[in-house]
Amino acid sequence: MRTSMEPVETQSRAETSTQEFSGGTTSSAAPTAPRVERRRKPRSWETPPAPVPPPRLDDYRKIIGDAEIDELRFLARELKGKTVKMVNSTAVGGGVAEMLNQMVPLLNEVEVNTHWDVITGGNDFFEVTKAFHNALQGSEFKLTQHAQDIFLMNNEKNRQRIQFTEDFIVIHDPQPAPLIMGRSQSDQRWIWRCHIDLSNPNSEVWGFLRPMVEKYDAAIFSSQSFARQLPIPQYLFYPCIDPLSEKNKEVDESFIQQVCDEFGIDRSRPIVTQVSRFDRAKDPVGVIQAFKQARKYVDCQLVMAGGGATDDPEGAAVLKEVREAAGDDRDIIILDLPPWCALEINALQRASTIVVQKSVKEGFGLTVTEALWKGKPTIAGAVGGIPNQIIHKLTGTLVHSVDGCAYQMRYLLTHPEFAKQLGENGREHVKENFLMTTNVRRWLLLLRILHSSK
Amino acid sequence: MTTAAVTPTRAHTPVKPFYFNTSAHLLRITRQKATNLAEFLDCLRECPEGSIFQHTFRTLQEHHFIREGFSNDFAQWALTACNEPGLAENLASVDAREFTSVSDLRDRFIQIVTDFLARTPVAANRPARETFYFCASDIIVIPTKFVARTLREFAEGLRGVSVHSIQHHFIEARLRLKLMSNDFSQWLHEDLGLTDAARQLNRIDIYTVTLEDVKNQITRIVERALI
Repeated sequence: MRTSMEPVETQSRAETSTQEFSGGTTSSAAPTAPRVERRRKPRSWETPPAPVPPPRLDDYRKIIGDAEIDELRFLARELKGKTVKMVNSTAVGGGVAEMLNQMVPLLNEVEVNTHWDVITGGNDFFEVTKAFHNALQGSEFKLTQHAQDIFLMNNEKNRQRIQFTEDFIVIHDPQPAPLIMGRSQSDQRWIWRCHIDLSNPNSEVWGFLRPMVEKYDAAIFSSQSFARQLPIPQYLFYPCIDPLSEKNKEVDESFIQQVCDEFGIDRSRPIVTQVSRFDRAKDPVGVIQAFKQARKYVDCQLVMAGGGATDDPEGAAVLKEVREAAGDDRDIIILDLPPWCALEINALQRASTIVVQKSVKEGFGLTVTEALWKGKPTIAGAVGGIPNQIIHKLTGTLVHSVDGCAYQMRYLLTHPEFAKQLGENGREHVKENFLMTTNVRRWLLLLRILHSSK
Repeated sequence: MTTAAVTPTRAHTPVKPFYFNTSAHLLRITRQKATNLAEFLDCLRECPEGSIFQHTFRTLQEHHFIREGFSNDFAQWALTACNEPGLAENLASVDAREFTSVSDLRDRFIQIVTDFLARTPVAANRPARETFYFCASDIIVIPTKFVARTLREFAEGLRGVSVHSIQHHFIEARLRLKLMSNDFSQWLHEDLGLTDAARQLNRIDIYTVTLEDVKNQITRIVERALI
């Protein structure tokens, strides 16, 4: 049932061919464009939705239960009146800013007074920090004295500009790491929260940063494998999703149906979906190959929902490869969506029979977390942080090849009871370990542990 | 079906109330990591006790929703990363509840891996598919709002607390008590004299059901004792 949109003309399976949609106002050079034009674009494609206010702790009560909320409030009680400063390098865009936008209000709500500052710098500084960022994740880089000078000088300017009087100072990522050099109060606790993969860093850049990191009281990493051998305690904070965000909140069945109708997805047949940027690391062509193998045995459709092709030359090239791999297959639906289509992505994930994330290189893989949270049986590449989320055959299935992915698609589509159990386990795994509220708990615990070590 | 060997009066007037607590854990990454079974054995010997606790008792809670196939991180790694199902079965068969000290539990795992490598030396240096990172927990105990002064209040507390509290009192308690028992059974037995109910709790198999199921079983046993 459609509520806010006009009815759309539904195409029969025989009429459709590979279906492609392009977000924003950019029209794709899709060979099947005339059929695409028969459907309306959801309004949300054209303009970003207005920002929603951050949730309050009690809003999570229905999701995690009274006991969990009470535990969070109790944990915070001993920290009442303590002050925290979070420092990162950007106020908007990127996962860290998004996380701080949600976390800071929640910490303030439990009376842990938390302030968020952003460092500033010129283009030269951010060029150096971007190069450092890539080098720390394994890229080749020649560390020059000039780059070091720019990095340290800009941090020194920020150190003089920002007051550091709080009880706890949390520095996010390498860009502001040298701020610790101005540490003066011995009873302050400084924490370095590293969001990037340090498992194979450029030795020159890590050698330059390491003495600064060692001055902190604790470091936090997103995966065990990202940590380094350091003389300070290192903690594990998994990335998390917000169950109340547009991307993850419950949505009406009518909206799910509406989105599927808009995109020409037939909900009477199994739907296999991969949601991710058009990026070779996500192996979208491999997903299409696996789908084509699996479909020899079981009827299904494939939805490839992604973005990044409009403003990223490499993304556009990958999208072209994806289109070529899909050919004129009428059961492959390619969606190039703008970044503000979170609600549509949510609906697509919920409409799916199974979700795939066949990455060959991955950070943590939050799209996997999103799928698990929606109770979807999930097939994913065994890379990056994905094995932390998917315990093979218990909370999902891990694959290492196109053939393996194809087999798991066939198996899960033909064993719905097993698939259902995986989905249920996966949701519980996320509830226990990868929700925003779990990270509030982790922060409160860490602050208490460091506070008691004074 | 409980047949309490005490008078009803005693059963409703415990010597001391039962305070439901829970514990919050923060995962710390330690220095030990293993890329094959030989290194794994070294790490088992050298790692802090907190790591043994984390990968056995704690992991039960982290995966409390799984009914089968997951009893501890060591067994899971032996199966999925080392492809050694026999070793995995041996490691999985270790019931953490049979140990009242982490040191004894560590010795049991060391023995199993040592025996396996003696039988299968070729497996010692075969690279695992994934590295095993030893972690440990920093723990803070948190009170809940539930306090039981009667068996009825005890049942209400059981219904109200989270599975984390069940883990704290029912599974991890033996390390504190140094007894093959748990906080609930101790209170039922010592303060209410409900020895049979206390024994029934100790017979619940935590490895074949979820922690939510464990909680429901405990609650049912206590509710039957109310009748």
